[in-house]
Amino acid sequence: MTTTAPAATPLPSPRFRISRYRRLAWWGSGLACALSVVGLVLCWLNPAIGAPLRPGLDFTGGTQIQLERRCDGVCGRLDASQVQRRIAALRLPEQAGEAPPNLAGTAVQVLDQGRSLVLRLPDLKPEQAAAVIRAVEAEAGALNPTATSVNTIGPTLGDQLLKGSLISLLVSFAAIAAYITFRYDRVFAALALVCLGHDVLITCGVFAWLGLIAGIEVDSLFAVSLITVAGYSVTDTVVVFDRIREQKTALSGLPVSEQVDVAVDATLTRSLYTSLTTLLPLVGLIFFGGSTLYWFAVALAIGIAVGSWSSIGVAPTLLPLFSRR
Amino acid sequence: MARQLWAVPVIAFLAIASVAALVLLPLQLGLDLRGGSQLTLQVMPAGSIKTVGKEQLEAVKDVLDRRINGLGVAESTLQTVGDDQLVLQLPGEQDPSRAAKVLGTTALLEFRAQKPGTEQEMTGLLKLKRQVQAVLNQSRAKAAATASGEPAAPQVEIEAEDLARSLQQLGVEVPPGSSESDQLELLLGAVNTKIVALYEPATLTGRDLTGAGRQQQQTGKAWDVTLSFNSEGGRKFAELTQGIAGTRRLLGIVLDGRSISEASVGPEFKPAGITGGGASITGNFSAEEARDLEVQLRGGSLPLPVKLIEVRTVGPSLGAENIRSSLLAALSGLALVAVFMVVVYRLPGLVSVLALSLYALFNLAIYSLIPVTLSLPGIAGFILSIGMAVDANVLIFERVKEELRAGNTLIRSIDTGFSLAFSSILDGHVTGLISCVALFALGTGLVKGFAVTLAIGLLLSLFTALTCTRTLLRLLMSYAALRRPTYFLPAAQLPASAS
Repeated sequence: MTTTAPAATPLPSPRFRISRYRRLAWWGSGLACALSVVGLVLCWLNPAIGAPLRPGLDFTGGTQIQLERRCDGVCGRLDASQVQRRIAALRLPEQAGEAPPNLAGTAVQVLDQGRSLVLRLPDLKPEQAAAVIRAVEAEAGALNPTATSVNTIGPTLGDQLLKGSLISLLVSFAAIAAYITFRYDRVFAALALVCLGHDVLITCGVFAWLGLIAGIEVDSLFAVSLITVAGYSVTDTVVVFDRIREQKTALSGLPVSEQVDVAVDATLTRSLYTSLTTLLPLVGLIFFGGSTLYWFAVALAIGIAVGSWSSIGVAPTLLPLFSRR
Repeated sequence: MARQLWAVPVIAFLAIASVAALVLLPLQLGLDLRGGSQLTLQVMPAGSIKTVGKEQLEAVKDVLDRRINGLGVAESTLQTVGDDQLVLQLPGEQDPSRAAKVLGTTALLEFRAQKPGTEQEMTGLLKLKRQVQAVLNQSRAKAAATASGEPAAPQVEIEAEDLARSLQQLGVEVPPGSSESDQLELLLGAVNTKIVALYEPATLTGRDLTGAGRQQQQTGKAWDVTLSFNSEGGRKFAELTQGIAGTRRLLGIVLDGRSISEASVGPEFKPAGITGGGASITGNFSAEEARDLEVQLRGGSLPLPVKLIEVRTVGPSLGAENIRSSLLAALSGLALVAVFMVVVYRLPGLVSVLALSLYALFNLAIYSLIPVTLSLPGIAGFILSIGMAVDANVLIFERVKEELRAGNTLIRSIDTGFSLAFSSILDGHVTGLISCVALFALGTGLVKGFAVTLAIGLLLSLFTALTCTRTLLRLLMSYAALRRPTYFLPAAQLPASAS
């Protein structure tokens, strides 16, 4: 390849020097990480949750029933506690050799101005779930059968899903670490992994707080979003490091912190733009994707936004501390 | 330059082929999009088999396939997943109760003779069983009557003291706070276990059946299930009945370890036993129960027990709603990205939007060719991959801009842009694919759907973002009118020498 202009002309002085703001960046990220850890610990200590994140149906097992009432125009008032009492008093069809589950702890949520209901019950057989739906129909009036959804996750599957999610998280992190170490030198790889940890920790932290405050639960799709964020975070960081590696010869006279400034300045727009182009479809998903994918898209969006921040503000600013000139 | 243009006919051909594929092979939609039920069954190890392998799984699947055929559900599919799971999909089915009942039980039918010297104990147990059953039937009828608003008074009762004594005699532990009906259920279970313990080991099982049917009893509404044995089974049945004919010992019919019927054999069968190769079970079945048992017996018993671990049911209008919302999400995502690219990158932005449309088209064609069953998480994977696909273009175009600002010619800037951005793009795709592989290898159904579409998207975007964009850009650059740096970035950013 022919030599291009930059080698001949004096070095462009970066418009934006990230090193100047590095203390601010570290404080910001450190605070976010600390808050995340606090959230996770509070969740764990909370007797109602007992885990770093509030586990959803996928992991706890159980049955979730979503119902829509059939009413023209305005739906009549519906009292969740009344539905709850009706279900608790229900006698379920028995299954051979198994005691019917206790329905006293059923959680009933009435949504959309009484139009729809979400029930959370213990693990039910399809026949028992049908009996519960009939009981609700007796209380709430006619339901729209075509808008009903019933999900049952057995306790064994819940354990499997949890184990599978944790293993795939660890395996993918390890594989990404191995690939990055193979492609880059050890300092770059280590920093890319610090960033990965930072992004995943903050995403988890946000959901720990959401779990504490708004009762938001994490499911297997959340684990998927973490793995995707991990892959994306590393990609984002690598773009900046790629530039530092590429300009090494041209800038070898400068201290590392200035090399970093040049690289960050040169890649700043593309870092922001690549995150933005990934966030835009997610915005579509958040606004129009429906309830199933809502929190999944939110988790991805948070992770990608944090990942973009860490690839600009965290990984490059830490580089001078670790690399010998 | 000509070496780049070979790709034009290739891309055109692929585009036409994709459209053809989509027309000829419609996309397969998952149950969360079209409505229906999905049941996941786990095959459990039992007896001498400690881990479930491929062979056992196939054997279980064969039996379940036969039972599903017996159920007569249209369009159902049964697939094996991993080493020990089976997934049954019932499109359009909203109440999977029956399928769950018919598929979920082992249906091991055994004919067992009563052990000698247990007549007294058996009489007591049977009396207790009938009593408990009567009370339970009645309270169930009462519950149904209350639900429909009819009053009904109990006629048969069991004294609380008697109940407690019986429970204690049979060694049943009653969990504190359980209601009377719960206690009765427990008692009934214990009685049945006790009865089964009074039988000899089975000499004749459902394996020796050639067929099963049902008929309504001449008196009353209950149904019987009729059986026909093969010659071996007929011989065994004759021997078995001959052995107990004329004694007070009973013939027990045991289904999955529960005694469902006890029959005495009259002395007239002493000489030869009951011959003729047929029998009927009088188990007080309802019409539906009789039909289900018939289906199960015809399908044969499961070589290993199965457990229902997951049931997902989605109503059709909910599915239609899911299709609408995910389509809207995908289109709005594409539109937002398209607007962004054209505003920021001008001509090449337009080219990348074109490449992105091709990308979407190729993706859909691949889904219909493999075929990939589209689910909600799968669509999310596709939508996310749109963003990642365009990332590659952003990296390239930023490079091109940089080269232009440095005063390079347009064509050289484009070439350099593509080659310098390649390393970052490759790294990004490889790490993304690593995540997908981990998700696919260890995840379950929903997760796999996401991993598959994201992986296809990543692989495909390497092709569209690099080859398609580059070729299209090259093609446009062959027109002098379009070879203007200002189509790439604002004139103010260009060095004076280059314009």
